[in-house]
Parts: sequence; structure tokens; C-alpha cells
Amino acid sequence: MQALSLSFLRGRRLTIEVRQKIGLGLRFATVLGAVLFGLGICLAILVSRNVDIASIYDEFIVFTFLNSAGIATVVVQSTPLVLVGLAAAMAFRVNYWNIGIEGQLFMGVVGCTIIAYFDIGPESLRLPLMFLFSILFGALWALPAALLKLRLNINEVISTLLLNYIAFYFVLNQVFGPWRDPKDNFPHSPRYDDFERLPGVGWEDVHYGLVVVAIAFVFVWWLIERSRFGIQSRFVGVNPRMVLAIGLPLSTITLISALASGSLAGLAGFTIAAATEGRLTFTLAAGYGFSGIVIAFLAGNRPVMVVIVAFLMGGLYVAGESMKVFYSLPDALVGLFQAVIVLSVTASEFFVRYRLRMAHYERV
Amino acid sequence: MTAALEFHGVHKSFDGNPALVDAFFTAERGEVHALLGENGAGKSTLMNIACGLYAPDHGVVKVDGQSVVIDGPLRAGVLGIGMVHQHFKLVENMTVAENIAFCHMTGAAGRRESLNGVKKRIADVSRQIGFEIDPDRRIDTLSVSEQQRTEIIKVMMGGAEILILDEPTAVLTDEESIRLLDQLKLFAGQGKSVVLITHKLREVFSHADKVTVMRAGKTVAAGKNPGDMSPSDLSRLMVGEATESGSLEPRTGGDTVLELKHVSATRANGTTALDDLSIALRAGQVYGLAGVGGNGQTELAETLMGIRHLESGEFLLGGKQLKKPNPRQLHARGLRCIPAERYIYGLAGDLSVMDNFAVSHLGNGKFGHAGWINRRAIFRGTQEVIQEYDILGATPTTRARLLSGGNAQKLVLAREMSGNASVLLAHSPTRGLDVRAYAAVHEYLRDACKRNVAILLISEDLDEVLAVSDRVGVINKGRLVGEFDAPVARDAVGQLMVGHA
Repeated sequence: MQALSLSFLRGRRLTIEVRQKIGLGLRFATVLGAVLFGLGICLAILVSRNVDIASIYDEFIVFTFLNSAGIATVVVQSTPLVLVGLAAAMAFRVNYWNIGIEGQLFMGVVGCTIIAYFDIGPESLRLPLMFLFSILFGALWALPAALLKLRLNINEVISTLLLNYIAFYFVLNQVFGPWRDPKDNFPHSPRYDDFERLPGVGWEDVHYGLVVVAIAFVFVWWLIERSRFGIQSRFVGVNPRMVLAIGLPLSTITLISALASGSLAGLAGFTIAAATEGRLTFTLAAGYGFSGIVIAFLAGNRPVMVVIVAFLMGGLYVAGESMKVFYSLPDALVGLFQAVIVLSVTASEFFVRYRLRMAHYERV
Repeated sequence: MTAALEFHGVHKSFDGNPALVDAFFTAERGEVHALLGENGAGKSTLMNIACGLYAPDHGVVKVDGQSVVIDGPLRAGVLGIGMVHQHFKLVENMTVAENIAFCHMTGAAGRRESLNGVKKRIADVSRQIGFEIDPDRRIDTLSVSEQQRTEIIKVMMGGAEILILDEPTAVLTDEESIRLLDQLKLFAGQGKSVVLITHKLREVFSHADKVTVMRAGKTVAAGKNPGDMSPSDLSRLMVGEATESGSLEPRTGGDTVLELKHVSATRANGTTALDDLSIALRAGQVYGLAGVGGNGQTELAETLMGIRHLESGEFLLGGKQLKKPNPRQLHARGLRCIPAERYIYGLAGDLSVMDNFAVSHLGNGKFGHAGWINRRAIFRGTQEVIQEYDILGATPTTRARLLSGGNAQKLVLAREMSGNASVLLAHSPTRGLDVRAYAAVHEYLRDACKRNVAILLISEDLDEVLAVSDRVGVINKGRLVGEFDAPVARDAVGQLMVGHA
């Protein structure tokens, strides 16, 4: 609103003004510009670490996105990212700030490890049971914070965040204690049996987690974009007081969204444990909670965009990994790049809402 | 004599939509100058240029004969221009003194003073202009009129010579309005200049020395003496055509549809909001509830919307007693609401017109079922109501916030009145609307009445209540102090409203 002036000529001012209408094209162009700007900064960081442009191009574009092996690795990497992105989007769109995705993911893995560790059910039903238990445990871990929020109005940011620590230390307790692998005595659970693992689809390392993601995506897309619940929950995010006044079940919608968020996080745990890791480890959730938040934010909580952003984010991880191996750059690099891109996109919101223009004052 | 504030040939457009086209305006010292026009005529835009919030695309702004560049509110302050906006710029969880000190600490004066010093100056200024305000009260405990006084004192303490007020009486009762306008007149008498943005003709005639009329971004009459003009002259200048207010035949009404019996309610701060209030609405009749704002109307509306817990008394809808009325149940039984706060209870501004329209109608089968929404049907249905209710500037995918006040209100009406409504609660349905939208809303209320809907119109605008109602009740301190059948004597109602019964 403020006409901040960047004065340089008498009578003429560069002013900043609120845009009255915000077109879709403008929004898209701004986000694209911001991502490119962020990538530019990342490039500058890499160059300053003596990585030459050609190898950056090779690592980030050619080896990551332009050949079959690279894309396959990216797909594997983005499988859980899509799920945590959907989990965050599901909660954020109703203004429920689920920071506990990491804990819910851990508990999802605990759920499937229970099935695998205690050999529950016949072998042929083992995978479906693990699938269901990961969803169930993820949702269960999301439940207390949601109930506290709805019954006692306790801030979910704090409670979900703290539940992460409880989940993490519970997992530590299990892998250092009762579930420690007797074969090598390392702090992780015994390896799942072969029939407890998601098989590969026959293209590099890509596994049937891809199908799990597809099912979850279709479900979330339907729920958000095409079901009655979707429209109603949109109002919960934007104007909860109106939702109450027109008689929609505010608490139920929030509860369903929170539980769906937890389930998706648990499912992400399932794809990591049953495909990539093959066991419960105490490091397998590292960073996924915050990646989920970043992805949902960049995707504007829209399911289709979540898939696209998660895929690009997967590429960033893969390229970052090889930068680490071949150029001995630190692990934190991927996190740094994520942060740079998120900050540029956040800051670019300014150009969506305001415009720069020249004002003339005539002197008489 | 040089004018205090002058505009010449001011142009301003927002994204290519012209808001001001060659506008001009001159305010002298010692006068209350009314700036009259419909919503969207450009009055606020022009004055926002004066106080440095907007920069003009072209044009000359002069203060005391000197052309100036007002590049921000601080500069406006230095030039002695102070504006009281429609939406107050106060920090809610701070006290009056802290709010004022905050403004002046960051102000151009560049000096700091103790909070006690500020409080002393507040006392001086408020004595000078005849306002009373406790500098230690927190803003969120103040009434709207007290908040407005705080704003005025804040502006005056900044040394304002030119005081601009944007529709200051929109939030005040009749009595408070007259007091405020009297004060402004005194203030102008001290050789300062007062610009009063308004769309109320009555205020122009009672308190303005000069009047400038704007229409569609242009100045159509400048610096006229209101004494030389008739109300119809002015309203013709404002809207470009004579507005007529249709009169109605009083309707006797059908069966009693909704009844409240002996309802009481208490506010969060312990004061009584509703006191043993009983009211009955009949099908096909408009019941107008008149009263000065803050006498329990909000609590009554909340009770009827089902968002306020029923403490005592009975709530009967369609002859059935509801033990714990909730919005869902009430909506299902045909009770519809036009809430007073459009963008709080009525619309989600960031969502599209079609979402806002469809959200209450998802269960009626026309727009698909719970598992699969038919977005195409919603789109078409929304297009139909946009036509039917003449919602200007809207397509189904427009964000609701981009609609003007009148069109946003039509959207609420369209949503609430589609389907099987039997009772309509209209709480200040025309607040902040221009003449044309005001008439349109009343037209819809009459239409609904013809379709045998029972209507409760709660309004602080007595003219509105008298124009539309078949039966008029008066609320004072949470009690129903009188009921009349139309035609109603204005004086009798007015006296009950202010407690002279």
C-alpha cells in the first residue's frame, strides 16, 4: 500500500503499488523467474567451490535427467518425496500446520516392521498388511496432536514437532534394544524377508513404490479436486469462521485432513522401508519432514504440482549426492540449494502482489 | 486566499482501470468540505493521494498554494495533512497512549518523549476538541467510536492542519455522528480545513460548508454551496439519474415461521446482551428490527445463525422447538443469513465466485454427489445466478474479493436465496453499499417476501428499516421495547431507540 519512493528525478518517482488483479500467467512467470534466480545463486555457489560449469551441466542435467539410469534414480528418490509432499499439502491447505511428518513417517515404518518382525499373517498377505499398518500407524501418530488442537485448541505446530522427537527416540530405543539385528549387532532391525520387500519393476532400481505413489496421488487428487470434501475443506483453509456460520463440520474436516496427512507420511515410510532400506533404521526419515513442507509450499498445495516439484527435488538430491561423491562437497549442499530456491520463491511473492511504476508530479 | 489543499488534473489508474480521470478539488481553510460520491467514484483514491498512500499517474497537488510531491504518509504528516481512514490503523493490543506515542516517535518530528508526556498531551488535545478518552485503555477494549476518536486525536497531535475523514459516520450511531460532525465544524472554525468523504446527503446539508461531487473518477461539481442545492440535485449529480425508492403495501403475513421466546444472552465480558427477548417472524412479511448499534443486535443475529449458544429461552422454527440449534440444522430447515460481516461470515474472499456460490448447495444433487463434484454444472449454475442477480464484474472463476461491496452482497444473496429458503436473516445488508446496490438489495428482499419467505431485517439505518418493513420492532439494551405495524411514525421509533420512552 505504501508508496515507497526510490527517488531520482524531481517530480518523478519510482513507486511500489499493490496490484489489483493477479493473473495466472503473471503468477507462473514470477515463480519461474524466482526458481531460475535461485538456481543462478546455486550455480554461483558451485562455481565458487571450483566446480566448472561443464561438469555442473553434466551432473545436474545430463546424468540426472537425460539418461535412463539417471531418471530411474530420480524416480526412486522422488517416490517418498511425492508422498511427504502430498502429506504436507493435505494438512496445510486446511491451515493445519503438521510439522510432524517425520515422526509420522517413522511410525509408519514401525507399523510395517511390527508385521515383518513378528511375522504376522501369511506370506502372501505380508506386503498388503505392511502397507495398511504403515497408513494406520502414520494416522495414529497424527491423531493426538489433531485431537489436542480440536478439543483444547493446543497449537499443532508445537505438538506435532514434539511428537517427532518421541517417535525418533522410540525408534532409537527399538533398534538399540529389542529389535537390534542379531546378525551383525548393528542398531537397525533385522532385514525384511524377500516377500516383505517391494519388488522392482524391471527398470533399473525403480520399484513398485511407484504404484503406491500413483494410488496415493489419484486418491489425494480426487479428494482435493473432485470430492465434495475438497470444496468444503478449501473454505476451512481460507475462512474457518464462514465454515462455521454456513454449518459445515469444521472439526471433522480438519481431523480428516490431519489423519490423511499422517497416513500419507506413514505410507512414505513404507516405500522407504519396504523398498530401499529393507529394514527399520534410525536415519531413514532424516530430512523428509522438512522436504515435504518445502514441496507443498512450492506446489501451492496442489497435488499435480506436488508431483512435479517432488520430481525436480528428487533430481536435486541425486545430483547433490554425486556432487558429494565426485567433488567432495559437503552433504549440506542439497539442503542449502533447497533453502536458496525456497527463499527466492517466497520473496518473489512480493512481485506478484506489487508492481513498480513511475509516477509523475507536474510542477506548475 | 490560497486554498489549503488543491488537486488539478489528477489521473490515477490501477492496472489500466482508471480510478481518477482529470479530477480536481479545492478545500479552503475554515470550512468543512464534503466530498460526495457513490462507492467507487474515486473519493477515497483522491484523498489517499493527499495522504501519500498512492502516487498519481499525472497531476498537480498543492498544499497552501505550493505544489508538492507527497511520497509517503510521513511527508503528508510534515505538510500537515492527516487522514482518518475507514479501517482504523491502530495496534489492537496496545493502549491509546502507546498507539499515539508510536506514531509520533517514528514521525518526522524526530524527538522522543515519555509516555507520561504523551498522555498529558492527549488530555490537552482531547479537552480542546471536546473528546474524552482514557489513554490507558487498550484499543481492543474500545468501542468503534472511541477507536475513531483515538485516530482523530492521533492525527491532531501530529499537527494536522488539513483533516481528511473517510466516511467517519459509517460506523457511528446517529447521535455519535452528530457529535462528531459538530466537533469537526468547531475544528474548521479554528482556521483548519476538514475534508469529509461521505455518501450521506443528510450530513452534507447539516454540516458541510462546501460540497464537491465525484462520479466515475471525475469531478462533476466542485466547491458548491450545499444551501444552493436540493437533495435531488445532489443525488442526481452522484448517480447520474434520479433514484426512486419504491413504497410498499404493508403485508399482513402468513403463519409464524420462526419464533424466539424469552431469549437471554450474556457477552463474554459479563454484560447483558439479550434480555428476555421474544420475537416472531411470519411468512411473507419483513420484520424490521431498529436500534442503535451495540444493543444486542449482533448477539441476536448470532443466536439466529446458530453460532451462539442458547442460554435460556426457546427457539422455534417451523413450529418445532430446537433444543440446541446449530447452523447445519437451521440451514437444512430453510433458515438463511446475510451476515453483517460479508468477508467474515459470508464469503471466502480468496476463493472463486463459483466455489463461494456452490459451497452451500453441494447437497442438493444438482452439482454432482459427495464422491464426484460436477464442476461444469457448478460453472453453469454460477453463470445463471450471476445473470439473474446481475452481479457485475464477476465470472464464475473471479476471486470473490475482487467484487465491489454491492456485488459481493448480491453473491451472498444469490447463494442464500437459491433453494428452499423459508426464513431470511438480513443483518445490515446494505452497510457500505452505494445507492444503486442499496436499492437492488431491497428489491431482492421484497422479491423474497413475495415468495413467502419470512424476513428479519436487523439494521442501524432507520431509513432502511422504515422503507422495507411491514412490522418494526425496536431493540434497546437487549430488550424489545416496542413493536409497530407499518406505516410507522419515525419519531416514535427514534425515541424508543435512544431510550426516551
